Amino acid sequence: MDACASKYPILILATEDCSYPGANSVGQAHQNYPDNTYIIRTPTPALFPEKFYLDCFAKGIGGIIIMSCGVECPYEGAYPALAKRVDRIYALMKQKGLDIRRLRLTAICTVCNRAFIKEVNLMNQVVAELGAPGSEARAA
Amino acid sequence: MSKLNNCQEQPKIGVYVCHCGGNISDHVDVAKVVEQAGGLDNVTVARDNSFMCSDPGQELIIEDIKSGKVNRIVVASCAPALHESTFRGAIARAGMNPYLYEHANIREQVSWVHHGPGATDKATALVAAAVGKAGELEALEPIRVEAEAHATVLGGGVAGMSAARDLAAQGLKVALVEKSPFLGGQVAQLDKTFPSNEAAGELLSALAAQVLADQRITVYTCAELSEYSGYVGSFKLKIRRTPPSGEDLERLALAKDAAPGEFVPFVGVAAWPVPYEAEEVALVSGAIVLATGFEHYTPPMGEYGYGQMPEVITLPELIRLMADESATGEQLVVNGKPVGSLALIHCVGSRQIPGVHQPGPDGKLNQHCSRVCCTATLQAACELREKFPETNVFELYRDIRTYGRGHEEYYLNAGRSGVIFARFEPEAPPVVTQGGEDSALTVTVLDKLLAGEELAIGVDLVVLAVGMEPRDNQSLVEKMKLPVGADRFLLEVHPKLRPVELPAAGIYLAGACQAPMDTSEAANAAGAAAAKAGAILSAGFVELDPFVAEVDESKCVGSGACVQACLADEAIEMIDTQVGKRARVNPALCMGCGVCVAACEQGAIELSGWTLGQYEAMVDAIVAQALPQGA
Ligand SMILES: Cc1cc2nc3c(=O)[nH]c(=O)nc-3n(C[C@H](O)[C@H](O)[C@H](O)COP(=O)(O)OP(=O)(O)OC[C@H]3O[C@@H](n4cnc5c(N)ncnc54)[C@H](O)[C@@H]3O)c2cc1C
Ligand code: SF4
Repeated sequence: MDACASKYPILILATEDCSYPGANSVGQAHQNYPDNTYIIRTPTPALFPEKFYLDCFAKGIGGIIIMSCGVECPYEGAYPALAKRVDRIYALMKQKGLDIRRLRLTAICTVCNRAFIKEVNLMNQVVAELGAPGSEARAA
Repeated sequence: MSKLNNCQEQPKIGVYVCHCGGNISDHVDVAKVVEQAGGLDNVTVARDNSFMCSDPGQELIIEDIKSGKVNRIVVASCAPALHESTFRGAIARAGMNPYLYEHANIREQVSWVHHGPGATDKATALVAAAVGKAGELEALEPIRVEAEAHATVLGGGVAGMSAARDLAAQGLKVALVEKSPFLGGQVAQLDKTFPSNEAAGELLSALAAQVLADQRITVYTCAELSEYSGYVGSFKLKIRRTPPSGEDLERLALAKDAAPGEFVPFVGVAAWPVPYEAEEVALVSGAIVLATGFEHYTPPMGEYGYGQMPEVITLPELIRLMADESATGEQLVVNGKPVGSLALIHCVGSRQIPGVHQPGPDGKLNQHCSRVCCTATLQAACELREKFPETNVFELYRDIRTYGRGHEEYYLNAGRSGVIFARFEPEAPPVVTQGGEDSALTVTVLDKLLAGEELAIGVDLVVLAVGMEPRDNQSLVEKMKLPVGADRFLLEVHPKLRPVELPAAGIYLAGACQAPMDTSEAANAAGAAAAKAGAILSAGFVELDPFVAEVDESKCVGSGACVQACLADEAIEMIDTQVGKRARVNPALCMGCGVCVAACEQGAIELSGWTLGQYEAMVDAIVAQALPQGA
């Protein structure tokens, strides 16, 4: 593992049309980022229900970055639906004592290399600071 | 296509890890990844190869399938966009269902971004995640729908006419639907077109002649889409034709003596007859091409004095003035007054910056570059200098973007013919004031080329190079649920991976409805759209990817939450069954976004090929590999 990578895995839900090719573009540029990041392809992250996120944290995923296409989403209406869902997940995370910084909704395009790396580093810092998912509830 | 429906058997997963020359194996210990993969549940074969995409690499997979060793495949290699279809093809050739396949991206997302043991561990985890998903895969069949050998093109500009002609050339019947009474679109408002200086009239007449002469193309002018339903292969459309009114009547008056197919300058190509009463035509079309074009930016009252000072006009207005054949002599004459000097101001209504420019009435800024106006402005400048050598020409610009083939020539020629350039910052645009020493107006500009020195230029005419704006397509957007970009132009799925396509299968974009572009780019896009539409319609049926929503009726309680969440009209409907209302998906209408999946509290609807169970298996595998023991 990279020295700078937190030990808890970060899940990246990346859209097939925007952020997944965006992550590949970071690879093509051979730009390094923490290796505790696992990118999963999806048509749109709007397909995941609230439970999926909470289960991920319960299983030990330290942070989740939703990398959507944002307003450039090819499925008209999917992004607003996703944004609303993320609000509901935040409320549920608070109920469970999970720090909401563990989940971030971002928009990453096919060539957003800098933004991709910034988001990954940011989440890595958050996960390193917070430790095991749920530990913040026990500490409070 | 006959496939072994072997997904009913216990999964026997074959894992194939690629070295990609050294691209992967220089940073990932491939032998270790293979060894670890071999120990995973359901994995019966784990191999590596220097180039999995090569024939010998693909043969490994084919032999293992044929000998019954494997019934699901995982390849760990480069990005799936490059070779997913290669490996699916190999699987199909071996007689297995090609959707029993999962891809692990260990080059772009591992070896090219991580080094050392961490790279091998991550590659192992990604392979494990793919194996987890592969264990949950089911055989899928492409969705086959009948396809009508008919296409509808909306918009009769250069893009629409080119698309109609190219579709008809493939043997398809075509309906060309144009809102106005004329063909030609905005090009009809031009005189000579860059980069060849070909007359707009000649270009449009030639194109329209091909369209009007083709028996397979039916042209509907004064027409718009009034009803839309259906799906690729079978869109059910209604086209409403209404008698011309308003501005169209004025244009018709100018063209009253024109024969069908005749070009009337600054009006368009006559495509008679126009309807005398409203009528509706029903069509069934296999594909739709949108070619609804753009609108010129109209400066608000007072922008650079527009609307307040009669000597401030737009570039399209100047083009029209210059085309007037009676306009001869050493100096341009406008409204009876000779123009000693004129200033062309670039980027008006384009490249607007938040906090610097005023948003339009819809609260939006045009942050895009309109791309064509630099060349169009330089072309006008060159023509002015040539035709009216006693008229001095100033070009006030932010950047010169003569990006296309032959465009730079206009820049060079403008410089050679004595056009004077001044460059301004967007935060300090030129200021136009009434009056001057020997002129009607004075333009003051801080010229970056002269280290920010203030120039006061006396001119008799100011010409604003107005940009290209997205057309107000609201009713079409709502009816057809079209994706619109942040710039308000229609949005293709992906500019490189799926250009001119929309997410809804069978609908394509052509021309300036998608982004600012010149006529050759519009014609190229039209050719691409026609080729893609023709490719799917020519077989008489369409095979669609099977990644669509599917309802498990045993779990469905008929809440209708999925219908409410669905982004496509009529993709899911509630049907009466013996046990009450149940949801049913129309696979041809489903866009495969999966928004319904999250909405169903019963977990009764899933996206084939991307099920929640598959994602959960991936997460479990990642956690098992990546989480430190005891954490
Ligand atoms: C100032 C200026 C100068 C230019 N000069 C040049 C040049 O010299 N050379 C060059 O190559 N390019 C030039 N261009 C660019 C050129 O105008 C465009 O590339 C071209 O017009 C794009 O064609 P189009 O068919 O996509 O759109 P349009 O020309 O806008 O045509 C769209 C058509 O669709 C119709 N329509 C709209 N909505 C609907 C609907 N809902 N249903 C049915 N029909 C509809 C419209 O009535 C119109 O006829 C210039 C552009 C500008 C702004
Ligand atoms: S093409 Fe030139 S004038 Fe037009 S917006 Fe772009 S930079 Fe400005």
